[in-house]
Formats: sequence, structure tokens, C-alpha cells
Amino acid sequence: MRAVLEYWSVLAHGLWVTVWVSFCIIVGSIPGAVILGALRLSENRAVRLTSTIIIESIRAPSALVLLYWVAYALPLVPGMPRLSPITAAIVVLALDGAAYGAEIVRAGIEAVHRGQFDACHALGLSKIQGFSRVILPQALSQIVPGFGGLARSMIKWTAIVSFIGVQDVMYVANYIRGQTFDTVAVFCVLAALYWLLTILCGVMFRGLEQLLPLNRALRSSRVELNLTSNLVSESVQ
Amino acid sequence: MTWDWAFVIKILPALGIGVWYTVVVTAAASVIALGLGLALAIMESVSKTYGRAFVLFWLELFRGVPSLVLLYFCFYVLPQLGVTVPAIPIGIVVLGVVYAAYCSEVYRGSLITIQGELRDACVALHLRSYTKWRRILVPLMAQRAAPALLNYVLSLFRETAVLFAIGVPVLMGEANDIGYEHFRYLEPYTLAGAIYLAMNLPFLYVLSRFKDKHA
Amino acid sequence: MLSATNFSQQLQFESNAVDDSMDEGGAAPHAKKMMWSIEFEKVSKSFGSHQVLVDLDLQVRPGEKVTLIGPSGSGKTTVLRLAMTLAKPTRGDIRIFGESILFDADKKGLSAAQESRIRRRCGMVFQQYNLFPHLTVLQNLILAPTTVLRQSKAQAVESAMVYLRMVGLQDKARSYPAQLSGGQQQRIAIARALVMKPEILLLDEITSALDPELAGEVLDVVRRVAHESRVSLLIVTHEMRFAREVSDRIAVFDRGSIIEQGVPEKIFTQPENERTRTFLQSVLDH
Ligand SMILES: Nc1ncnc2c1ncn2[C@@H]1O[C@H](COP(=O)(O)OP(=O)(O)OP(=O)(O)O)[C@@H](O)[C@H]1O
Ligand SMILES: [Mg+2]
Repeated sequence: MRAVLEYWSVLAHGLWVTVWVSFCIIVGSIPGAVILGALRLSENRAVRLTSTIIIESIRAPSALVLLYWVAYALPLVPGMPRLSPITAAIVVLALDGAAYGAEIVRAGIEAVHRGQFDACHALGLSKIQGFSRVILPQALSQIVPGFGGLARSMIKWTAIVSFIGVQDVMYVANYIRGQTFDTVAVFCVLAALYWLLTILCGVMFRGLEQLLPLNRALRSSRVELNLTSNLVSESVQ
Repeated sequence: MTWDWAFVIKILPALGIGVWYTVVVTAAASVIALGLGLALAIMESVSKTYGRAFVLFWLELFRGVPSLVLLYFCFYVLPQLGVTVPAIPIGIVVLGVVYAAYCSEVYRGSLITIQGELRDACVALHLRSYTKWRRILVPLMAQRAAPALLNYVLSLFRETAVLFAIGVPVLMGEANDIGYEHFRYLEPYTLAGAIYLAMNLPFLYVLSRFKDKHA
Repeated sequence: MLSATNFSQQLQFESNAVDDSMDEGGAAPHAKKMMWSIEFEKVSKSFGSHQVLVDLDLQVRPGEKVTLIGPSGSGKTTVLRLAMTLAKPTRGDIRIFGESILFDADKKGLSAAQESRIRRRCGMVFQQYNLFPHLTVLQNLILAPTTVLRQSKAQAVESAMVYLRMVGLQDKARSYPAQLSGGQQQRIAIARALVMKPEILLLDEITSALDPELAGEVLDVVRRVAHESRVSLLIVTHEMRFAREVSDRIAVFDRGSIIEQGVPEKIFTQPENERTRTFLQSVLDH
């Protein structure tokens, strides 16, 4: 264990890479998830089908296969770029996140009451206005918790980026294991680090939930109700 | 580099072996996941405090730690303890145990709804506990949980690709070996991707059938 | 609640507002011939093989208050949803102040912009209020004026407060819908529709989710709108006394078409149609 801790600066650097990649793929997956999720609910059958096919084909071959393909096969296709390992990792994992996130967004939008769509239409709002001002803000109350769970998984997904040479915490751990041969300690530290990261991520999303418009509205209603019931009970006494 | 069909033909048999191992690993790990998951759910229901605490700990652990870390851990630590286990059983057991935790949550969800609905009926019929579980609760649980469980089996199948890291010759591992050996990456990785995609189709078909029946 | 003088002041404003928009309407291309505010011409609507409306003809004059009554499932809600372009008819045409909400002059489908301009002349209030739960009352009222009519925020707030006062809820501007009673929510929903200064207001069973006392306060608001403004009302309701008071005309629906229509006195005292009689008997017994 002591030997492992002597490598703390290398470990810290690897951890930083993992945090950075996780941050990029979580944030990077959001626009794709919203767009794909909204298209899944389009009135146009062809649009719906296309987005379903895109989502399923991204998810189907698993992130690992996709990552290898983008890192090693894609550059061989004429006219295609050779991405740096970290770029390839971020692009692939963000895409995968968008595909999984799209289902969360779709379910969140579907959970918004039909009457809200009708009310937007009756007030003359355009589709985009209604979606951005009314539907999405409400759907977020379902989407953000779901996305929190996905984000925790996405942090774990980053473990595979070490395969294509990104020097994340996993890569560094394997290096330290080669130096110290203290396998048990290395992997216990590694597991603890991942576990802490996912817990932190969960806490951050829990905090984010508090800021959502619908949650704020419902919370303030509850507070008010409590106040009135207090007043009532006081006046009774 | 251009696409070489002759090379494709040449590597197909090796990829076929990869497909075979992928199927075997997926099937074996699924059996563990579904069976152990059921056992965990029952244990939890029978012992509300210790059982629940144990399952929660198990779940929290696997929710926060990548399966790759667990795989490496078992793969490198067991030999140090003097136990030599080949890579394939390690891969099967690790994936099976991780997914058992997820599946137990699914079983638990359906068990709660069923118990709510049938509690009175079971009491009224004076069923023995064993009969109640064996003949009523478990079959109903399996039936209700089937779509969600299948979803986890699909995720498990997708995750088998990481087993190549400890040398299990799953499809991903075979593609990787071929690429390394011949210094040709375009065909093996593209083919592997296409085959993985195709292997998803039966799952997606069955899942869509479930959805239709539900709707 | 508000004093009587306040009422008439606000309603004065209300009728002025409608007058203004009527003038705009008068400048429309079809001004010369007799114009209906809303007109259904041989409209049919099917859901799959189930035909809900059959060759429906219905016209409403500007400022007229028309109430649709009839048994459950006879297609009343469908009529309002078609008028609000929430659904499209299978056949037939629907015109608002002479302009089709389905086709342009060349009988082609309307562009989103054209459709939005025409549908803006209609407003609708729903059975389930459909207030936006994540917005305060005031935000609910100014959302459409600021985004659709591009009013400044100050302007929108000012006119929103006028309508809030009219429905007697000016002190609830900063509350969220969940903090209000059902009756209060429905009054807000009416105010929300009125701030858009519609020339036609569609009301679909707006009190049927409410207890009788709460229904009363909502109906009071509608009565005031009906008596003192020149907006056309198309109302679906099961409150027969209310229908009798506010309507200029009552149309009785059965199985997707109008079986009888006329002034309330006649429908309620001497219905001609046998099925109207049985329907009225069944509802008035309750
Ligand atoms: N979206 C839809 N899909 C299929 N059928 C529908 C749909 N909307 C309405 N219907 C059917 O159309 C018929 C008329 O419905 P509508 O809601 O217009 O009746 P209504 O007169 O408003 O009845 P109620 O008094 O119960 O509100 C009903 O039989 C209903 O089942
Ligand atoms: Mg109705």
C-alpha cells in the first residue's frame, strides 16, 4: 500500500484525465440526447424511424467496439480523420451517451401531460416555443434524475479509454501495478476512486434537481401549504 | 488501404470462433445473473434487514465500480492467492455477479407489486411458504420482469466485449488479434462491429414484441 | 372578491379590447359578405373506422354565444378540438372569419405561419385547466403575449394584471398553480386565454372537474365575459341552467351531428326532436 501511495502524483494525473473525459462526455452527450429524444417523438414516421435506427446502431456494437473502430479502422477509410486517442474516446462515449440519453429524454417528454401540448397550441405557441418554454422545463424533472444515473454509468464507461492509450486512472493503475506488483492495493485504490467519483456525480445531479423549475414550483407550494397548516394549528391553539 | 474481400473470407472462421465464445459467455453469465438475481430478491424479501443491507451494499459497489476493474482484480489477484482459474470462467462469473445485482432490483420491483395484489389470496388459501414461492410468486415474478430482465441480458451481451482485456476470445478479442497479427485493422473491426450489430437484432425484435403486447 | 364598480370598469376594457380586434377583422379580405366568426362546412371526422362527426354544418356569428349539449361521446369535444386545430377533419372545411384553417386559396395546406396567424384568433379553455405547473400565475399569463405577440414584458404584465383583476385573483400573481384551488386555477386559465384577445373563445366542460361551489365562481366569470364582451363563445357544458342563461343559441348533438338547434327557451321548453327530449329529461332529472 505504501509503495502504491508513492505514486500519488501519477495517480492524481490519471484521475484528472478520467474526470476531464467524464465531464466532456456527460456534457457532450446532452445536445445529442435532447435532439434524438425529441425526434423519436416526431409526428413524421420516417423521422421517428430514422432516429430509432441511429440510436440502436450506436448502442448495438457497445462503446468498446465503436471506440476501436474509430481509433484504428476509421483513419484507414479514405478522407477520414485520424483522431487523437482522447478525442476519439470523447466522441465515441459522448455519442453512446447521447443514444442512451435519448431514451431518457423521450420518456421524460412522454410523461408530460398531453394537455400541456394542447394548451401550448391553443395559446398560439409554435412547436419550438412550446417545446423549449413549456414541455422541456417540465420534462427535466424526470430527465435529470435519469440522466444522473446515466452519468454515473458514463464515468464507469471511461475505464475502456485506456485500451487506446488515453492515460486515465485505469491506465495509470496498470502502470503502477507493473512497477509495484501490489495488485490488491492498486485495484482497491482504483475501485475506491471510481466509486467516489460516481457518488460525487450523483450528489451533483441531486443538487441540480433542486434547481429545476417544476421542482421549485412544487417545493414552494409545499412550503406554503405547510405554512397555512401551521397557521391553522396555531389559531386552533 | 482499401477493403480486401479475400482477407475478409480468410478471417471469417476466426471471427466465427469469436461469435461462438461470445454466445457461450453471454448465455452462461445470463444464467448466473438471472438465477442469482432471483435468489437475492427472495433472500431480501425473506430477511428485510440483513438481506436488504447485503443486496444494497452489493448494488452500490457495482453501481460505482467499472466491471473492468473487477475483472482485472479477479484475474490478477486470484493467482497471487495460489488459485489459478482460466480467464473464461472469471469473465463469466464477474459479469454474472454484477448483473445479478441489477436483476435482483428488477425482481424486487415486480415482487412488490405481486405481493400487494395477492397477499390476501395467499393468506386465505393457507399456502405453505414454499408452495407460495414455488408455484405462485416466482413464476409471476419471472413473467412480469421478463422485458426488463431481457434488457439487462442485452446490456450484458454488449459488455462481453470487455472480456478481451483478460484474454477471453470473444468476438472483440478475435478481431483485435487478427488486426494485430496482419496489421490490417479496417476489415476485422468493421466486421466485428457489423456482427455485433446483427447479434442485437433478435434481442431488439423480442423486446419490441414485449412492448407491442404491453401497449 | 371585487366590488361591482370594479367589475364594470374591467369589462369595459375587455369589450374595448374585443372591439379593437373586431376592427382588424373587418379589414380582412372577405369583409363584404356576411361573415361568420367560425363556420363548419360539411365536416366529418373519423378515428380509424369510428366516425365521430358526420357532415357537420355549424355557423357562429361574431359575438354570438353558442352552447353545444348532448350525450357523452356525441362529438362535442371533437368539434372544439377541430376549431382549435388540435385535430384535423377527415373531410370538409372550417373557416375562421372567412379564412379556411385547412387550405389556402389554391386548396393547398397552410404554412405554419399562416396557420398560426389564423388560429391566434381562437382561444380555448380546457376541462383540466392545463395551466403550466412550472410557471407562476403571472408567468402563465405573459408567456404567450411575450413569445407569440412579441409584447414587451412590461406591457404583457400590465394587461395580465387587468385580466387577473377581472377574474378576482390579482393577489395570486406570484403563486404557482399547485397552490390554488381548482376553481381558482380554472379562472386563471380563462384569464390566460383572454390575454391573447381572442375573437372566439372555446370552453370545453370547464366546470366538470370542479365541486359545485367552485364551479359557481368559474361560471360567474364566464357570465361576465358573455354579457359584457363581444367575443364569440362556443361552449360545451353539462350545466343546463348556465347554458340557458348565457347562450344565444343551443345546439343539441347526437351521434356526430346536430339534431336540433334554437334559442334556449325553445330548446328547453318545446324541444321538437324526440331524442332531445329524452336527453334533456335524463340530465334535468339529476
Ligand atoms: N383521439 C381519439 N382517438 C380515438 N377516438 C377518439 C379520440 N377522441 C375522441 N374519440 C372518440 O370520439 C367520440 C366522441 O368524442 P368526444 O370527446 O368528442 O365526445 P364528447 O361529446 O365530448 O363526450 P363527453 O361529453 O364525454 O366529453 C367518442 O366515442 C370517443 O371515443
Ligand atoms: Mg368532451
